[in-house]
Amino acid sequence: MDLRLDADDLNSCVQCGLCLPHCPTFRVTGDEAMSPRGRIHLMREVQDNNAPLTPEILDSFETCVQCRGCEPACPSSVPYGHLMEQTRESLADVGEMTPLWQRAMLAPLSTPVALKAGSSLLGVANKLNLVPKRLGLPAEVPVRQQPLDSTGTDVYFFTGCVMDAWQRDVHRAGMRVLQAAGIGATPTNELAPCCGALQAHAGLTNQTRDLAEQMMLNLRGDRPILVDSAGCGAAMKDYGHLLGTPTAEAFSARVFDIQEFLADHVRSLPTVEPLDLRVAVQDPCHLRHVQRVHLATRTVLRPFVRELVELEDDGLCCGAGGAYSVLQPELAGQIRDRKVDVINGVRPDIVASANPGCSMHLGNAGVETLHPMQLIDRALTS
Amino acid sequence: MSILRRASQIARGAKSDAPADPLLAALQAALDPDRVKIDDAHRSLLGKDASVFEGGNAGPICYPSTTAEVAEIVTIAAQFDRAVVPRGAGTGLAGGAIPLGAPVVVAVTKMNRILEIDEANGVAWVEPGVVNLDLTRHLTPLGYHFAPDPSSQQVCTIGGNVANNSGGPHCLAYGVTNAHILAIEVVTPAGDIVMLGGIDPEPSGYDLRGVFVGSEGTLGIATKVAVKLTKNRPAVRTLLLSFSSVRDAANTVSGVIAAGIVPAAMEVMDQAITQAVENYVGAGYPRDAAAVLLAEVDGPADGIDIDANRIREIGLANHATEVRLATDDAERTLLWKGRKTAFGAVAQIAPNYYLHDTVVPRSQLADVLDKIYAIADAHDLLIMNVFHAGDGNLHPLIVFDGREDGVLDRVHAAGAEIIEASLAAGGVLSGEHGIGVEKQGYMELLFSEIDLDHQNRLRRAFDPVCRANPGKVLPSGHSCADIQQLRSVPAGLWG
Repeated sequence: MDLRLDADDLNSCVQCGLCLPHCPTFRVTGDEAMSPRGRIHLMREVQDNNAPLTPEILDSFETCVQCRGCEPACPSSVPYGHLMEQTRESLADVGEMTPLWQRAMLAPLSTPVALKAGSSLLGVANKLNLVPKRLGLPAEVPVRQQPLDSTGTDVYFFTGCVMDAWQRDVHRAGMRVLQAAGIGATPTNELAPCCGALQAHAGLTNQTRDLAEQMMLNLRGDRPILVDSAGCGAAMKDYGHLLGTPTAEAFSARVFDIQEFLADHVRSLPTVEPLDLRVAVQDPCHLRHVQRVHLATRTVLRPFVRELVELEDDGLCCGAGGAYSVLQPELAGQIRDRKVDVINGVRPDIVASANPGCSMHLGNAGVETLHPMQLIDRALTS
Repeated sequence: MSILRRASQIARGAKSDAPADPLLAALQAALDPDRVKIDDAHRSLLGKDASVFEGGNAGPICYPSTTAEVAEIVTIAAQFDRAVVPRGAGTGLAGGAIPLGAPVVVAVTKMNRILEIDEANGVAWVEPGVVNLDLTRHLTPLGYHFAPDPSSQQVCTIGGNVANNSGGPHCLAYGVTNAHILAIEVVTPAGDIVMLGGIDPEPSGYDLRGVFVGSEGTLGIATKVAVKLTKNRPAVRTLLLSFSSVRDAANTVSGVIAAGIVPAAMEVMDQAITQAVENYVGAGYPRDAAAVLLAEVDGPADGIDIDANRIREIGLANHATEVRLATDDAERTLLWKGRKTAFGAVAQIAPNYYLHDTVVPRSQLADVLDKIYAIADAHDLLIMNVFHAGDGNLHPLIVFDGREDGVLDRVHAAGAEIIEASLAAGGVLSGEHGIGVEKQGYMELLFSEIDLDHQNRLRRAFDPVCRANPGKVLPSGHSCADIQQLRSVPAGLWG
């Protein structure tokens, strides 16, 4: 079938294989079908040679975490992430991917009222131990939360969907840190209910386009838009490509990861006693491989902790991957085992992770994580 | 496999690999069903490697995790009179791991454990699926590394290095894989488990280890390898020299060797490939130079400063337009990253490449390169040159777009002329990529009938019934299997 993949993009892979060790699913399976090179080969088989959509081919596409760790490793800059998103969109369009129940699960994300109601219900159910552990929810799903108040109008602070429902404390910490640097922030709340990243991963790209249009309309102007979730930031920086309009390009150029933005303002933060902690930096894939601004995390964090340590695994994915850890629990677990081994190898007191999915996924394996903003906030307020 | 997939499979019907075939059933009983694949997707994927060869045809694909399992697979294949083909990461550039005639493919990627580091004997025991760079990273904190460093080292496996006797930039000073392998546990084509070589300094008997290294899977499957630990280098200097002609770069290389200096590595890239590489790494490679020479010396700090300075002077005497010394490890790492990702960077220029691997005497480098560029012009093709200059190992890359009508004929014609030019200059066919299926047609240019006959007898001593990677290395007529016959497997044999 026609996957509607750009022929030049598809042909930009020479099948050299340098991506293989940077792919988490290849690393844990050793299976070519679970490697970027293999997946591109199968895309060609389907699109160019009309190969039937067998369970194995669909499995190959569905098991991709979409971490995009293969992209920086590719000397020919194959746009793998876009190829995989387009493949999933084409397959979802004909009903070969993302069945209805998954679509139903994603639907509340873009509807704040439904999300809050659903999340509170989940919070209660979780307290009563009614939620299966393999779903990987955080130990404490908040049932009720204090609203976020505006601290000024220098920047927008993107609050989003799941993160706002489950990790609003991270937002609160980020806004306090910005305030300490003299930056006033307006939380986006209902103005921008969801970035659409999870929908795009699932091939429901039209929903992402709608959410992008809505957000662009509501957040007009030229204020920078700061994001404290690496996955959301990566998605919003891609609106230019997604919509292909100059307006969207201009909007994407206003989007900054909060660490990226603060790295230029770190001198405005007060000098305080660093936290007495050895902190391992876990780079979320969409911060390191997609936004490629992961070094900013070190810049902003360094003055506020005793010691920063690197994980020597070339930024290999932790297996969280948005909804991946729920949809592919076996692979996600094996990938996480590798990451946990690497983390334990450097014996940190705590792990800093700038993405809600990673911190929840690692948290479920007993790894204590905090967002870099929470660490800085703690240093500033202690 | 996800819970969702299972649910959707129930809806879609059974998986397409229901074992009706007795060979498949036996293999699935020996491993477990999840580690034996026979679906079209896997057969298509494992029918290829990183070469341009398209005629692969894989039978059942097995993922063993122990030597005993490999032995069992080989024994079962023998019972069913089927060939076996080992495979590592699939980065081979000569089609060595491409299955011909629907053999059982033995993918060793799950055999990736580092079994033992024996510092007292200077040895590490590893499984064949261990990635070359993973091994070096594991050894680095202990003060050692694995010296062979092929450009694909971040992904290629030790098993593949053994099969191809791989080289790499730093083999100029340290020697190729053969010099770093002490012992190999092998499953023979009959299914026996034997140990070739040993960790004693002087093992007695025939050096069958030496025979096995570089045999490209035609003598059996390595299941455990004892590699030599090489001490990390006390100090390193890396120089980047720019030239306004490839000839000047080649003459500098000859000059350095003639001066008695043995650098750790000397690599040349021409302008087209340097530009592609620089687009990717941004290491500060000059885009306007006709050629660059990356030269590295290592050893005690005082001595290497003297050597680095002499290389600089020899470069300047050969009209180098710029000589740069890498200031720190980060810059050095970036320069090497550029060199080592060169092949993969060519898709920036065209989607396909055909790579040669001839070795010529260093004194002939400049002349042979001139001929190669002339051959490219005559066939209206773009050829880029990136090569291990220090040991005369050329890697002319013919880049093309396979969608263009008739282009492959021109590519192969140019390739044949490059090989003829290299051999005429006193060179050999392959430095490190192996012969595989792509270069075997040229073996008769290099070896006499009697040479090939003796090589075939050696092969038959290990594999009397032609079961180990048939159709590779030795040309048909001198090997146990006729490649044409292997390619024309009856349709429908597998699906």
